[in-house]
Amino acid sequence: MNARRLIQLALLVAVLIYPFLTLESPVYQRLGALVLLAAIGASAWNIVGGYAGQVSVGHAVFFGIGAYSAVVAFVHADLPPIVGAPLGMLLSVGVAAVIGVPTLRLSGHYFSMATIAVGELVRVLSSTSDWLGGAQGLGGPAMPRTVFDLSFMSAMPYYYIFLAVLAFLLGMTWWIERGRMGFYLRAIKDSERAARSLGVSAGRYKLYAYMLSAAFTSLAGSLYLCMFGFIDPESGFGILLSVKMVVMAALGGAGQLFGPLVGALILVPVEELSNSLLGGEGAGITFVVYGAIIVIIARFLPAGLLSLFERRPTAEKPAVSTANPASGHAD
Amino acid sequence: MSKIVRRTFTAGAAASVLSLGLPAAAQQQTVKIGVIYPLSGNAASAGTHAKIAAELGADLINNGNPELAKLLPLAKGGGLPGLKGAKIELVIADNQGTPAAGQNQTLRLITQEKVAAVMGSYQSGITQTASAVAEKYGIPFLTPESTAADLTERGFKWFFRTTPIATNFAKAYSDFLKEQKAAGQKTDKIAIVYENTEYGKSTFTAIADLFAKEGHTVGLQVPYSANSTDVQPQVLQLKEKNPDVVIFISYTSDAILYAKTMKELNWKPAILMADDAGFNDAAFVKAMGSQVEGLISRSAFAPGKPGSIAAICDELYKKKSGGDGLDDGSARGLQGFLVLADAINRAGSTDPAKIREALVATDMGPEQMVAGYNGVKFDSKGQNTLGSSLIIQMRNGQYVPVWPKAKATAELILPYKGWPQ
Repeated sequence: MNARRLIQLALLVAVLIYPFLTLESPVYQRLGALVLLAAIGASAWNIVGGYAGQVSVGHAVFFGIGAYSAVVAFVHADLPPIVGAPLGMLLSVGVAAVIGVPTLRLSGHYFSMATIAVGELVRVLSSTSDWLGGAQGLGGPAMPRTVFDLSFMSAMPYYYIFLAVLAFLLGMTWWIERGRMGFYLRAIKDSERAARSLGVSAGRYKLYAYMLSAAFTSLAGSLYLCMFGFIDPESGFGILLSVKMVVMAALGGAGQLFGPLVGALILVPVEELSNSLLGGEGAGITFVVYGAIIVIIARFLPAGLLSLFERRPTAEKPAVSTANPASGHAD
Repeated sequence: MSKIVRRTFTAGAAASVLSLGLPAAAQQQTVKIGVIYPLSGNAASAGTHAKIAAELGADLINNGNPELAKLLPLAKGGGLPGLKGAKIELVIADNQGTPAAGQNQTLRLITQEKVAAVMGSYQSGITQTASAVAEKYGIPFLTPESTAADLTERGFKWFFRTTPIATNFAKAYSDFLKEQKAAGQKTDKIAIVYENTEYGKSTFTAIADLFAKEGHTVGLQVPYSANSTDVQPQVLQLKEKNPDVVIFISYTSDAILYAKTMKELNWKPAILMADDAGFNDAAFVKAMGSQVEGLISRSAFAPGKPGSIAAICDELYKKKSGGDGLDDGSARGLQGFLVLADAINRAGSTDPAKIREALVATDMGPEQMVAGYNGVKFDSKGQNTLGSSLIIQMRNGQYVPVWPKAKATAELILPYKGWPQ
């Protein structure tokens, strides 16, 4: 067993027992769950934004659909909120198809702008609907009725639920990455025209990636609702949510399996701790930090933090790069 | 991890040393109160003013104010007498205007800062998620200003609300109109004009329901969109039906538009009323104040007569905030804080269960109020049953309290005058 394996194993164990390490501090225990929840959203975004290179800045639409589906299941059907999760996923896939067919034809910034427009439109519409609680929003069960309401005092159950969902999502992404679809998506990202000329049905695969991404973003929204118990248009469909997904994935490394998780591991604690330490002063310092991070990534690490570690193997094995000179500079 | 453990250890060691060596050490005890408001985000201005109100409240109790001490026993200074002079320490947190941050920060205040009680959190949605944490941990949560009706319908044991809600405002309007009717004013035909989103609709429903019970007839209702750029059709409708009383429930730009259009079409009712909001906005008062002489609105606060609790607090608040006096929002914040401090004092303990019992037993009269309430007394759901509003009237471009008489600084003048002839 080499050192790299040992580190990986230690990390895995740390992730698995984290809630037990933080038993005495509910705030840190909860922070773990918040990181995982953010990582689910950002990893879902990564499928279409990272792998396929279609930078959606309107993913909050699906997050909101998931959250509202869960709360509607409770408010209008008196069911545990989590029952709304599969419905939200189905609805999100449908909505993704409706949005995706026209907008995925747009390239680059135009696609991003179209997704922003759709996101804002949905936010405004949701605030005028009485059925969805209007601008005021809707609340989940005030007090848990059964365990299925997933309303816990401790963050530990949330941590393991989120961890299971994230593991499934990353496993599936890994499987896609290795398969035909993964190659197609990377080809589309590099050059859509070249991919098409080689016979890749670019439109279809972009749409598949978009719909899959939407489904899991929606699930993140439903889980959010279970944990926080309240949703309003701003916290369900607000543009800041969409931006956070993009920034997290970009910080860690968009188009990399663990990129969004690494991004969440840094940004969520930064946000929570800076607010805890400095928020009382009322300086809004959290968002200053956010802005600074965006500027720094864009300037120095456009490929994300993980790109720092990516370079090492190629440097250690110069034989490979001489055999294949292009790979050493493939940046 | 090790840091947390060590800190608890040092604190524990310090406490035991103090209690062994210095019997008087109990006087050094502090009571931590969590204060959570939007200090960033789009409600930051309101949140900051509420935060200053809580700081003023803590200052009054810790350091005292001789003038106020004659009226408010807790303002003698030297901390809370019920806890051997324990000082109040505020732990202030920013909810960033999001329900998620509100919940995360409340958890921190309760589990890390170990506050005895929490107050906040301005926006109703944030109060909802923040108070849910307090409920699970069994810590009293008092909201001085969130008015969404369902907050007190959740069956919570640890939740208290001092602010009046729409039904209380409706009651104030109803009582006010009854008095005017008894005094010979015509109030038979009432029209309500309301903007058609959440605020307007819910307030309209509360007023219409209560008026029906109290025997007022709402003969005309006019919903409209607050984004309208033209309200002539609505004003023409009013002119045609010519009601005796009109109540407006509006935001700012539409309020200005209505005032202008009524002048253009030269129509005014005998009594023109507004439900706070747009008609109380500084922008409205500045732009239209001189054109709506005699307009009646409501507010939870008016400085009142010199030497009153409200007037003294207003002056102190001005000093602390650097200019702004107390207003509807900050006065309710300060009132909520004083109610919480009073309960902790009576509880004589920082035990949350005892503070809750003391809150349940709260019974304050109008003479102890900073805000224009009739007092504070909670029902079984935690809602203050004595919350009320002052009726204020526009005089020479400024609102002055005219009703109820005990708190009025000027005589009510009817009918509505409007623009200078």
